[in-house]
Amino acid sequence: MKIGVLVKQVPVSDSSLRVNPDQLWVEEGSLNFEMNENDSYALEEALQIKEQSGEGEVVAISMGPADRTPKIIREALSKGADRGIHIVESSSHESDPYILATLFNEAVKDEGFDLVLSGLQSDDMSTGQTGLILGELLGMSTATMVVETEIQGENLKVKRELESGWFQWVTLSLPACVTIQSGINQPRYASLKGIMSAKRKEIRELQKDELMTGDSLQSLSKMYVQHKDKRTEMIEGDTQEIVSRLVDVFKSEAKVL
Amino acid sequence: MDSVHHVPNIMYAFGFSAIALFIYNLQRFFVVKIGKEETRPRVTYFSAIRNALIYGVVQMRVNRMRFSYATVMHLLLGWGMFELIFATAVDMFTKWGLFTSFLPQMDEPWFAVLNDLGGAMVFVGLLMALYRRHVMKPELLPQDNFTGRGYLFADTGLLLFILLLDVGGFIAEASRLAIEQPLTASFSWIGYPLSMITDAETWALLQPYIWWGHALTSFSLIAVLPLTKMFHAVAVVVNVALTDTDIRGKLRTMYVSKLMEDPDADFDEISLGSSTVKEFTWKQLLDSISCTECSRCTSVCPAYTSGKPLSPMEIITDVRNTLLENKSNTILPGDVISETALWSCTTCGACMEECPVLIDHIPTFTDLRRYLVLSEGKPPTQANESLEKTMNTGNPYGFSQADRTKWAKDAGIELPIIAAKKEADVLFWVGCAGAYDPRNQQVAKAMVKIFESAGVDYAVLGEEEMCTGDSARRMGEEYLFETMALQNIETLNQYTFNTIVTTCPHCFHTLGNEYTDFDGNYSVKHHSQFIQELISSGKLKVNEVETGTVTYHDPCYLGRHNQEYDAPRNVIQAITKPGALKEMKESKDQSFCCGAGGGNMWYDIEEGDRINHLRFDHAMETGATTVATACYFCTTMMDDAMKVRGKEDDIQVRDIAELVATNIE
Repeated sequence: MKIGVLVKQVPVSDSSLRVNPDQLWVEEGSLNFEMNENDSYALEEALQIKEQSGEGEVVAISMGPADRTPKIIREALSKGADRGIHIVESSSHESDPYILATLFNEAVKDEGFDLVLSGLQSDDMSTGQTGLILGELLGMSTATMVVETEIQGENLKVKRELESGWFQWVTLSLPACVTIQSGINQPRYASLKGIMSAKRKEIRELQKDELMTGDSLQSLSKMYVQHKDKRTEMIEGDTQEIVSRLVDVFKSEAKVL
Repeated sequence: MDSVHHVPNIMYAFGFSAIALFIYNLQRFFVVKIGKEETRPRVTYFSAIRNALIYGVVQMRVNRMRFSYATVMHLLLGWGMFELIFATAVDMFTKWGLFTSFLPQMDEPWFAVLNDLGGAMVFVGLLMALYRRHVMKPELLPQDNFTGRGYLFADTGLLLFILLLDVGGFIAEASRLAIEQPLTASFSWIGYPLSMITDAETWALLQPYIWWGHALTSFSLIAVLPLTKMFHAVAVVVNVALTDTDIRGKLRTMYVSKLMEDPDADFDEISLGSSTVKEFTWKQLLDSISCTECSRCTSVCPAYTSGKPLSPMEIITDVRNTLLENKSNTILPGDVISETALWSCTTCGACMEECPVLIDHIPTFTDLRRYLVLSEGKPPTQANESLEKTMNTGNPYGFSQADRTKWAKDAGIELPIIAAKKEADVLFWVGCAGAYDPRNQQVAKAMVKIFESAGVDYAVLGEEEMCTGDSARRMGEEYLFETMALQNIETLNQYTFNTIVTTCPHCFHTLGNEYTDFDGNYSVKHHSQFIQELISSGKLKVNEVETGTVTYHDPCYLGRHNQEYDAPRNVIQAITKPGALKEMKESKDQSFCCGAGGGNMWYDIEEGDRINHLRFDHAMETGATTVATACYFCTTMMDDAMKVRGKEDDIQVRDIAELVATNIE
């Protein structure tokens, strides 16, 4: 079983974010980064599938700047992934999920993966599409929001989380590409032995600019911190008018009636 | 106590055979050779002799108030036995005519009184021991009295055998007194009355049998002593002699970062932490074979007391049994010692404080944890998060380093940052809890108020301060600890300051006692010590206001680990009326952990009660209206327990800094 896992490096949750002057991305200077939470579950699932089958390879794939991204690929290697692929992003931060998927497609299309896993969405952009589009580009069967996996010969049986506590079992033919919901497993801790052996594992570097094949289908126009306004309205008039305006506010604005 | 002057040669043959067998059987010690080389410095001869006398002969650590019955019992047995051995030696030398000018005569009145006293002490001690085994039956003592432990005589068998020896000695003495009728016979206050139970002729008839009987029982015991549990009488003396009491409890530094840079290190083969008996040092193994199974460690263990699956004694004896059974490749954590037991330890040090034979429990437990984390990648599941956050963000809460001083900014405090100031008299080490945990931010603010009021020239590291790595280290994550330590030392060494003041005993312990292994040498004071100095030097003027009654909870890493019991109490007394400090039954060196140490702040052991709830109940029993602490973790744990117990209206939980800050003139 040859498994590819997309792992993304995102700012740690609870970071105080400041937007860059170009209003397209956040200031990274004082931020700490970590592996996207959902991706850490995807990685763990990949490692467990490999361990259960007793053979195979797990390849961790990430894209990002050269200075910080290798850290999470190493983290994946420390936990047991066999090698890494790093798409080095030297220009601006890419946020279009279609472009991201085409880049990953270019990077892994010759790998011959039986299975590609990724978190169902990233904690920073939360588009929830990259993994799915990649599956389509690779011509694999796809499923999203997976909370349980089971390899059945040539097939992969997955349990998907639907709305309102509903679940769905789907059997996909391999190769398949699925996105993983958090809580599916308990991600492991990297042992020092793992950290040391990771140093000897290969990380192949690819340049984003060389992999680009098409133009963005969407463009990000502005990133900003939501502005919260406090507004005070003085209601004037006679009792009848004040009451009807108040009822109106309760109904249409405060939505408590 | 015998004076047959013609000792037959056969007796010498028996005697020397017994001694030869004793020495032969002492090879039981050599099992420790399987252990690794000891990385701690060798003890000096002076220290070895001193400790052998203090802890081996005088048995200083046997004497603990909360084990008064066992203390009296053991001191009677131990000292009584020493006296009898001395008397026997005198008797022997007298017969050989050696050292006679230095040694007392057997029939000198005082020596006669003393010798019978020795025998009487052993007799009473034995009765107490038998009573304890068979009537009191302390739950934690091994209950397999007639079958277990050691060859030939199990626990009770051994007591009965020594009783036979002791009584036999008195009878032999009585026969000698009856036959020889020395002038001072009546000073043998037990032997003399005993000699009168029959006439001298009968004694003379019986004497050879009595004498041989006593001699052979004595020789038998000597010959097999190392194979019985009496081995402890020898092993303990050796163990305490080879223990460096100054660094007892100190974790052995692994220098993981150096190991990682070593190009020859084969990480598939290398052993990290200890998983088998071979991977402990010989001294750790010597500890294990010195254990007398007195169970004091377990009976005071907060994890055991609260129903968690940890018995410190069992871990030590599991190591010993695996060693003695020659199972040198058996993996201990998981197979022999449960992982939950290992993770239940709060490293509070209560076990080590009580251990009469100076066993070093915490470093041994930590080595087992190191194996689980560094080799197996298996910290307690819930702790993964705090460890990874510490690695990624520099603090276990996972907040941004940029927000380190947000607590002050939000409160309108302008903190002096050392990067701007370059030097200061005091570097205030705020700590992660002080910086990020809302409850403990109050303590940090109180500390600032104290600094400002006393006109202290202080500064903080601000964004440059990172977790000291305490929790990581206790959890066996030595790599993370070293990463934090090396980073912090690099930061600290850029600046000039005289003293680091911490509000957290864990930071205090790590910065002051553990960074030294990485060339981080600082003068570190806990805030209780610093505040005490400010008050006594008159720099900080405090009111003696009515704060009601206060009970003080000793944090383990301030108290037991660093022997600071007085400073916080002096501070409390400076701001309360005389008599307002109400001590809990378990206080000072007998304090009971809050439950958060050893990394337990970051995970829960499901089994048993919450340790902090039990500790909070101790505080409530004093009737005090305030529980004072001097540790972020303790404050959090006591605060939580207070809320769970619904006692917010009856009692308040305060760090001593908060109490002082509200009482500044």
